[in-house]
Amino acid sequence: MAKHIDLGAAGESLAARELSRLGYRLVDANVRMKMGELDIVAEEDGEMVVVEVRTRTIGRMLPPEATVGPSKIRKLVRTGRAYMDRIGWEGPWRIDIAAITVGPDGKPALEIFRDITVGIIEP
Amino acid sequence: MNVVNGVTLRGIEALKVEVEVEMTGGLFAISVVGLPDATVKEARERVRAALRSLGLSVRGRVAVNLAPADIPKEGALIDLPIAIGIAHAMGEVRVSRPTIFMGELALDGRVRRVRGAVPAALLARKLGFPLFIPEGNAREVSLVKGVTAWKVGHIRDLFAHLQGFSQLEPIAPGEEAEENPEPDPDLSDIKGQAAAKRALEIAAAGHHNVLMTGSPGSGKTLLARALKDILPPLSDEEMMEVLLVRSTVGLPLHSSRRRPFRAIHHTSSTISVCGGGTNLRPGEISLAHRGVLFLDEFTEFRRDLLESLRQPLEDGFISVSRASGSVTYPARVLLVAACNPCPCGFLGDPQEPCRCSPLAVERYRRKMSGPILDRIDLHVTVPRLTPDELVQFEGQVGENSADVRQRVLRAREVQWRRWGPLGFQCNAELPERALRRQVKIDAEGRRFLKDVAGRVRLSGRGISRVLKVARTIADLAGDEGLTTVHLAEALAFREGGDLPWNR
Repeated sequence: MAKHIDLGAAGESLAARELSRLGYRLVDANVRMKMGELDIVAEEDGEMVVVEVRTRTIGRMLPPEATVGPSKIRKLVRTGRAYMDRIGWEGPWRIDIAAITVGPDGKPALEIFRDITVGIIEP
Repeated sequence: MNVVNGVTLRGIEALKVEVEVEMTGGLFAISVVGLPDATVKEARERVRAALRSLGLSVRGRVAVNLAPADIPKEGALIDLPIAIGIAHAMGEVRVSRPTIFMGELALDGRVRRVRGAVPAALLARKLGFPLFIPEGNAREVSLVKGVTAWKVGHIRDLFAHLQGFSQLEPIAPGEEAEENPEPDPDLSDIKGQAAAKRALEIAAAGHHNVLMTGSPGSGKTLLARALKDILPPLSDEEMMEVLLVRSTVGLPLHSSRRRPFRAIHHTSSTISVCGGGTNLRPGEISLAHRGVLFLDEFTEFRRDLLESLRQPLEDGFISVSRASGSVTYPARVLLVAACNPCPCGFLGDPQEPCRCSPLAVERYRRKMSGPILDRIDLHVTVPRLTPDELVQFEGQVGENSADVRQRVLRAREVQWRRWGPLGFQCNAELPERALRRQVKIDAEGRRFLKDVAGRVRLSGRGISRVLKVARTIADLAGDEGLTTVHLAEALAFREGGDLPWNR
């Protein structure tokens, strides 16, 4: 497989491990829907969380979290909504970003951005 | 039943706004419906941040409805009720009975001062609801008697209060109104100008509007400012009206029975004077309600501004109509206008020669004529003082304001007794019909008036104004009927009676 696909897959499994360590209960991973894919779906404190995992090697121009732009957010909202519909979840849900940066020594660093749609006036 | 209420202002009146909150699952979003303006829409960011400062995170979809749905809601004062409504829907606080909240939220949960606290307090008193207001508004609300209110400095304290952990500080009735504020300036501080002082006394007694004509530096502004302190002190009811307007505008309040004095500049816009604007606000004429409105450089005012003052001078209120609706502000003012006698200002001055051409004087004078002059009963010339008078430091000072006010008060009581049953308060309000029927003149006075009216070409309206002023002069003297003495003095204050170009 291509190198960047491997990196992404490694990042997603790292994120899943770290998230369950932080108290998220993993529900689903790599959910394919018609309009897109959800990397990780977890539940935390009565709230469903759609986690978008982004992994990048250091030295790139942009940090990983900056690669989620408005159109990606719209896509996540649409896909998330459809997923919640499918599983019949009627409670609150949110979108987090797990940003992983792989350093020059090959060590990954994980950062979680919670509830990224807050502050966007019209989501 | 819905228990969380806010207010919105309509004119100087506060209207109750019910805040309904529904929370459902889904991605976080707050939507506010019920004709919110931009400030109200932005409330959701402040509300969420403020609730977050309490460790309360809002999740899911939040729908906020502001009822009644057809009244536009404006202002940040609705932040606090929205926050409480959300917390109530989340089960964090219990509001056990209908309550009014008002206040703007800071991101860290502090509650900021808003305008319109006095109208809100009056509403709460009428409905019998308890009221929570920002700390910064405590002083003005303390002046409203009979309202149950608490002051909120931080939303944390309000939560603790509603959860029953601690008590907020209730607002105690405020200090008593300052009964007799020191006159500023006192009439006795103004040298000379006996005629002008007399005109002010008559104006105060009968609520007649005044026009003062005089050279620059003759003391017109000072005289106008002295007028507010010879008017009777504000009654409780009048004081509340004054506070209401000031609170609606958001001006600082102080409890005093002194009448308001507002001077407006001739470059003022019509909106700033009459009220209006995109967010409807009262104008200067409403801030001068129950007091004195002073127009310096009367001739320089734009025609349309003066025209728009006509209706409020007649009716005592002003209606402002906009697409968003029509509101009424109180505007019962005593108008004092001042102008120079001619463009250079020295026409009729004993020392300084006037440098204006007759044509320029004519043109200047014509600017002044117009419908607004119909509302002005008293015309008085304010001459410049001679150097001798100016440097006189001791010796004879005139009466002080307190003594004059005593006479004014007595004259007002006489008028109140006489016109009260007919529905008027003062001589200036009398309509033509009532005037002819009710004002008694003795035979000699009648002859005198006929004679003079013929000689100086008094119009019908001119005679009415002379009669009104004469009636006030008689009331000041405590006389029952009008005699030649009263009429002669009134004639001296008629339009153009004392102007240099008519001598």
